[in-house]
Amino acid sequence: MLFDILGARAAAFPEGMQAELRAQFNSARSVTLISGNLTTNSRSEISGVSARCYKNGVYGFSSMAELSPAAAETVLKTAADNASFMDGHIRKGAPPLPGLNKARVNKAADCRDAEQKVYIDFLRELDGLIAGKYKRLTGRRVAVRADSMEKLLYTSEGSRAHTSLPRCYVYVLMSAETKSSMPVEVFKPFGGFGSFEDNFSDPALLLEGIDDYYGKLMDKCSGVYPEAGLKTCVLDGGLAGMLAHEAVGHTVEADLVMGGSVAGGCLNMQVASEKVSMTDFAFAALGKPAPLPVYADDEGVPAADVELIRDGVLVGYLNSRETARRFGMEPGGNARAYMFSDEPLIRMRNTAILPGRDRLEDMIASVDDGYYLLDTNNGQADTTGEFMFGISLGYEIRKGKLGRAILDTTISGVAFEMLKTVDMVSGNMTWLSSGFCQKKQPMPVGLGGPELRCRVTIGGR
Amino acid sequence: MIADRALEALLSRGADMAYCSARTEETREFCAEAGEFTLYRTIFDRSLSLTAFKNGRKGGIGINSFDDAAIDRAAEDCLAAAASGIADEAWALAPEASVRSFLQGAPEPDMDRFFFRLRELLDTIKARYPLVVVEQLSAEHTTERELYKNTNGAAFETLSGLYALDISFSGHEGGESSSFFDFSIVFDNLDRPFVELGTLARDLADAERQIHAEPVDGKFTGTILLHPNCFGSLLYGIAANFTSDGAILEGSSVWRDKLGQKVADERLTVSVAPLDSRIVCGERYTCEGFISEDYDLIRDGRLESFMLSLYTANKTGLPRAKNSDGCFIVKPGDRPLEEIIRGIKRGLIVGRFSGGEPGAGGDFSGVAKNSYLVRNGEIVRAVSETMISGNLADLLNSVEAISSETACDGMSALPWIAFGGVTISGK
Repeated sequence: MLFDILGARAAAFPEGMQAELRAQFNSARSVTLISGNLTTNSRSEISGVSARCYKNGVYGFSSMAELSPAAAETVLKTAADNASFMDGHIRKGAPPLPGLNKARVNKAADCRDAEQKVYIDFLRELDGLIAGKYKRLTGRRVAVRADSMEKLLYTSEGSRAHTSLPRCYVYVLMSAETKSSMPVEVFKPFGGFGSFEDNFSDPALLLEGIDDYYGKLMDKCSGVYPEAGLKTCVLDGGLAGMLAHEAVGHTVEADLVMGGSVAGGCLNMQVASEKVSMTDFAFAALGKPAPLPVYADDEGVPAADVELIRDGVLVGYLNSRETARRFGMEPGGNARAYMFSDEPLIRMRNTAILPGRDRLEDMIASVDDGYYLLDTNNGQADTTGEFMFGISLGYEIRKGKLGRAILDTTISGVAFEMLKTVDMVSGNMTWLSSGFCQKKQPMPVGLGGPELRCRVTIGGR
Repeated sequence: MIADRALEALLSRGADMAYCSARTEETREFCAEAGEFTLYRTIFDRSLSLTAFKNGRKGGIGINSFDDAAIDRAAEDCLAAAASGIADEAWALAPEASVRSFLQGAPEPDMDRFFFRLRELLDTIKARYPLVVVEQLSAEHTTERELYKNTNGAAFETLSGLYALDISFSGHEGGESSSFFDFSIVFDNLDRPFVELGTLARDLADAERQIHAEPVDGKFTGTILLHPNCFGSLLYGIAANFTSDGAILEGSSVWRDKLGQKVADERLTVSVAPLDSRIVCGERYTCEGFISEDYDLIRDGRLESFMLSLYTANKTGLPRAKNSDGCFIVKPGDRPLEEIIRGIKRGLIVGRFSGGEPGAGGDFSGVAKNSYLVRNGEIVRAVSETMISGNLADLLNSVEAISSETACDGMSALPWIAFGGVTISGK
């Protein structure tokens, strides 16, 4: 738990500037077994302080790898000097940022930190179970990653926030070969918010999920290349979440809107079918805790949900304090930094397409010739809204029935065109939270959604 | 000396073998958004990594504190992690005890001139490429001091400094826009205007030419001519899927039995060369304590090496790679780029590949971004919503031409390269 070395330094905020002072501790524990070989066994603990000062439309920032009152004073002074340097050269002459509701947040969980032995023993047992049970595997990889970020923030305008974001996952990757000796893989993460102890107790409890994925891997061994072209597809909830994050979420980040993203000309316009609504949730979603709750951002803004699409109409952007002023919106607590040495950037929190009323079975039965796409291994989107997702697991749909598995492929489309083709939305909800969003800095984010029926372009042969 | 102190802390707690690396960094960064400067950032950073082996078991920890109590605590944690591990005789360090000092790049920044060059760049873009919007720009100089020591007596001291520029931009006109371009480069001097670096001027011109793009009609098999950056991203996929520790240990590499055999067109030579003069601040030693040397991954189409650590080499009996860097140098061809374009019957010039992670077998598919349609040797138009798919291993045997020009970004030196037999599909 971070010791409060900042409070006494809050009086040292520079005159004539709006300032933030942050102390932060990031930890990570990693263990990997590749086909039984322990290849990664490491821990890291990174801490320090940073300050950011705003003056006449530009920022100065500084950080030090040290948690001490002296370091806090040094970074405040250097950040103020840097802001003055930029102001002296750029002379934007912008007024101070508008006032804000002060954050008063104390949500730092006392997260239990497991010893490395706990992770290793768990993985060895799990690896042994997999090796003993699934005889057709040609390779296997099991890994644990536990990471957390704890932050203590003071601002010159009176916000104070002490927060933490621990999460822990076990990853299972299994590989086998097709009849033509081509390797194929499936990948399954387990876990979520909290410590290892919060998420895992007995390796055998993961076998039900692994059984399911082993079956899918065997299906994939007999998989076929999809037929390239525009197809009717049912996207699993995780893929809908990826769509929400990559194809829509990034284009509505206000800094990218200023850079010319497609969302710039679409506010209050129909960008999706009326069945599509989408929100960036802060700390609770649909009556439950959000996968990775955020209570205040690193500008001292109390976190609130940000509605992005309502019944197909684009209604909001994700903002920092500065872009909120530019667009005449309220900041919702989206300015987040990953390490103590990082400046806050506009980031998503828990971004999701909201569930509808259709049943998955009916959605599949309604497709004459298409695909049911289950898992993605990565995604990327353009500021034009053109997106692509790698598909690592899926099945043909022929005359309303699931058919053969497909080999790895990619889907693509233009978000605000593809979302208009969504004509069925299930009542289910799937969240993913095990990855990092990459935008200059990494950032843990949650993303989710229901199954969607839509038209997308699929790669293939 | 912090590295000595850390090594002693590990040995006094019973480590049989160990290595430590202590590093301090000072980074100064300018950022711009939507073409305007927004931030000046100064970072004072440091890190200490400790790795210990005891009874054949390995553990590692990284911290960013140099005080005695933190080092002692880290040493305790490191040995505890090792004690929890699995005994494996394959863990080892370089047997030779090299002691070397390295001075690389430009450790002393000229921030006034750096800022001048950045303003000059933004002004040049506004003047010469009026349809281009700079979405994000970050430009930094980092000075790094590092001391590495291991228990076999290796000691390496490094002082280095480099400038880095990362800029993303797109072309805009009449409510339409190109896909974004992302240009990254590292360098050690400020002699030339930044617009002259690497392929930046060409890319900026392409951003303006690609504002009005359309999908390719239907599906066909054709040629893809890859921009050096795009080729580089596919090389990383090839390295990860076919030559890496993980692919060899898992047994998923389709090249696992191909060492010394032909895996690519004989015109293709790929080196991993951190000592090449075009590479800025390339690796000088590995974490195992070996002095880094350049090596050929593929020479004249033959697989000459995997990219293996000492651990995986010991585990499999295959030779270790002579460095652990990822800086690719590809031998240029003998045909000018424009001549290669004139020789394409039907295909794409691909500036960026936005695709899923290639499958373990090398299958890839994704969107051709920043791309043009070429027919009968002529650039027809820019394309959008167009996908390409194929297999990485097959691709290397389908080389049609390699350009005589290369592009260097301080991390690689690569030509344009044309591959045939690729599935290209639009709407």
